[in-house]
Amino acid sequence: MKILLAEDDFASRKFMDKQLSRYGECDVMVDGEEAVDAFMMALEDGEPYDLACLDVMMPVMDGYQVLKAIRDIEAQKGIPKSKRVKVIMTTALNDERNVKMAFELGCEAYAGKPIDVEKFEKVLKKLGLI
Amino acid sequence: MAEEFNTESMLDMFLYESGQLLEKLEGIILEKQDADCFDDADINEIFRVMHTIKGSSGVLMYENITKVTHKLEDVFYYLRESHPDNVPHMELVEKVLAVSDFVTGELDKLKNGDTPDGDEKQLVEDLDEFLGRLKGEIKNQGIQMPQANKHVEPTQFYITPVAGDDSHFYRISIHYRSDTQMSNLRAYSATYALKEVAEDLLYTPDDILSNEASADVIVAEGFHMLLQTKSSKEEVIALIDSSEAEEINFDELSKEEYGRALSEFGREEAEPVVVAPAAAKDDGNKEAKKEGPKPGDYVVKTKEAGKGKTLAKNQPKQQSIISVNVEKMDALMDLIGELVIAEAVVLQNPDLKVPGLELSNFQKASGQLSKITTELQEVIMSMRMMPLTNTFQKMRRIVFDVSRKLGKDIELEVIGENTEVDKNIIEHITDPLMHLVRNSVDHGIEENAEDRTSIGKPAKGKITLEAKNEGGKVYISVKDDGKGLNKEKLYQKALEKGLIENKPINEFTDKEIFRFITLPGFSTKEEVTEYSGRGVGMDVVVKNIQSISGRLDISSVEFEGSEMTLVIPLTLAIINGIVVQVGNSPFVIETASIKEFVRVGEDSLISEPSGEEYIVLRGECYPFIRLNERYDLPDSVDKIEEGIIVVLEHEGSQVCVLIDKLLQEQEIVVKPIPPYVRKVKGLSGCTQLGDGSIALILDIAGLLMHDGERR
Repeated sequence: MKILLAEDDFASRKFMDKQLSRYGECDVMVDGEEAVDAFMMALEDGEPYDLACLDVMMPVMDGYQVLKAIRDIEAQKGIPKSKRVKVIMTTALNDERNVKMAFELGCEAYAGKPIDVEKFEKVLKKLGLI
Repeated sequence: MAEEFNTESMLDMFLYESGQLLEKLEGIILEKQDADCFDDADINEIFRVMHTIKGSSGVLMYENITKVTHKLEDVFYYLRESHPDNVPHMELVEKVLAVSDFVTGELDKLKNGDTPDGDEKQLVEDLDEFLGRLKGEIKNQGIQMPQANKHVEPTQFYITPVAGDDSHFYRISIHYRSDTQMSNLRAYSATYALKEVAEDLLYTPDDILSNEASADVIVAEGFHMLLQTKSSKEEVIALIDSSEAEEINFDELSKEEYGRALSEFGREEAEPVVVAPAAAKDDGNKEAKKEGPKPGDYVVKTKEAGKGKTLAKNQPKQQSIISVNVEKMDALMDLIGELVIAEAVVLQNPDLKVPGLELSNFQKASGQLSKITTELQEVIMSMRMMPLTNTFQKMRRIVFDVSRKLGKDIELEVIGENTEVDKNIIEHITDPLMHLVRNSVDHGIEENAEDRTSIGKPAKGKITLEAKNEGGKVYISVKDDGKGLNKEKLYQKALEKGLIENKPINEFTDKEIFRFITLPGFSTKEEVTEYSGRGVGMDVVVKNIQSISGRLDISSVEFEGSEMTLVIPLTLAIINGIVVQVGNSPFVIETASIKEFVRVGEDSLISEPSGEEYIVLRGECYPFIRLNERYDLPDSVDKIEEGIIVVLEHEGSQVCVLIDKLLQEQEIVVKPIPPYVRKVKGLSGCTQLGDGSIALILDIAGLLMHDGERR
């Protein structure tokens, strides 16, 4: 599985990288714009990501913007819903309205930090990724 | 409602919504428990509640809740689609309550930060079995089987953060020796070591790596860190390199203190807004709710070397509900009380009584002031008021549960559940009320229906729960139409247990005998049941009620039923009163308890040889009290033609008192009589009047009681 990880905080990044590397190849980005670039590049190379884990509070573009950009690009390219990259937001912003907004923007899961690794894995299973 | 809570976290929101839905559900169930079946609207509503909870618990991945609600949703799906007859209603009610209990239990676990790990298997099996029978019934009745209820698996998930309750919060300050070289690098190595264990770390000065001058600041002012971590104090200390350090201060903080410290550290400090290039284009096309978050709100300002994160766009949080410490509310209430007194002192100031003063502007201004203070009182009162609905809801459940367990058929009537009372009172009466209701079900209503029908009562027992607000007091009564209290039995029992002094039964009044049941260690039921009868309880009830200066009235007629009434003052620290004068002393009488003022002649007075006096008014005879004699007040009116008779009423009994003259009507702030004054019967408090003098507040109940005892 190909994974895109966008996370600007060093400690979280290291942790997430370690977790996600168990499931597949993990590309690590440090800001939102880089994440969109990486997504675009992978798409053009014909090797799109299966999973994207996006932090929300990041430089240049925040996670919600990245999510929106990714979904917009997919829509524009006519990628069917089933083939879309699965997106999990990873953030400490757990307000109900933030979560609802992310769901509306089209993410598959929203993980509150500190991340519950067990549940995280359960979600990956439910999403059919592992 | 949801709007007001939308700054809550996802989990809080789930707990809140599900809690509300379950409450509604119980309401429907208990209301319809005695009906033959649920009507279509109820079935739809229950289906919807289950569907919603199933959905949201699915998103949050609480699988046991999802499974249970899913099953019950199925049951109601078939009920909704097929309308089968002969549904075992009672069993269905029990099933719904079992599910509701299960989910409530799991929600409570979540509220306490525990994992909802309740085992749903048994419940799901029970429901499956019930559903199987239901389907069989549908087939038997030849109704077409609806298509299986389609369940849409949630496609989006919310992973709740691991409970952060075991996190510790520390404030660490390191002071290096003044000759320390490159203290900024030492500080950096400390932060670096801590990053391994930190969930959150903030330090000041924050530019230790990029700014060499920070070394001087650190030496001069010390290096301060705020740390959130799961590690213990010892582990954290071990990580910090303490060489060169002169002093390390280590404080463990509570979560709240940590939050405050964060803002002191300047985390909330607004940075100049830097709009990220991509942010602008997104803003327009998202039809975001008014104050809702938008993509782009959380762009982090590109980190300057060593600086902490700051949001490019710092949005102030909208908060529409705040919770306030009750103590602060009480303090505000007190202050408003003082304000009312101060207002009276100003408006009735003797200086204003100088003849010839032009006061029309003053009067206008004072009118405005009075209006505002009155409104202020109303607002503070309304802030503390809550309806009794929730409390009564709980009682419904208790009646249902206990009567089912005991095999009694009981109907509960609820009157006045919208009565609003002070929140403080609600907290204090819930337990006592629960006890009273249980007692009524267990002891009040007869064991067997035959016992009832044989004396001409309907087979079904009835308990009435009533609340009303009258004359500044709340009355909450629990009434049953059961066997009532047997005075003889109560007397014997109390005597046996040595709870009362040995005197014949006819020397006790009915009320006194009924009051035996509130004595500690009294229980007339031979067998102790699961629900009541341990003899603890009634005394606790009374104690609880007394602690909020209320009382418990008991009345009962054998074979007809009993009524327990809680009478509690609305914590009205401010009453509307009439100021009267006797001799040189002003008294205050609560306006609500005054029936009339009359002047009567000597011929209306009846004097008994024992010294008791009565007044006859329109053919009715009232006990008569001379306040001047009772309280030894000199220089007062003695002849009743010269004074004024005030007829006072308290709970149906009347008494007349003689006063000299009426002074005024005004808002009175009730202050307790200071403890250094011996408790005086017939007085409930005191207050300060406009001219600064102290007036005593008459307690009608006390006057009547005193009067009764004297006779």
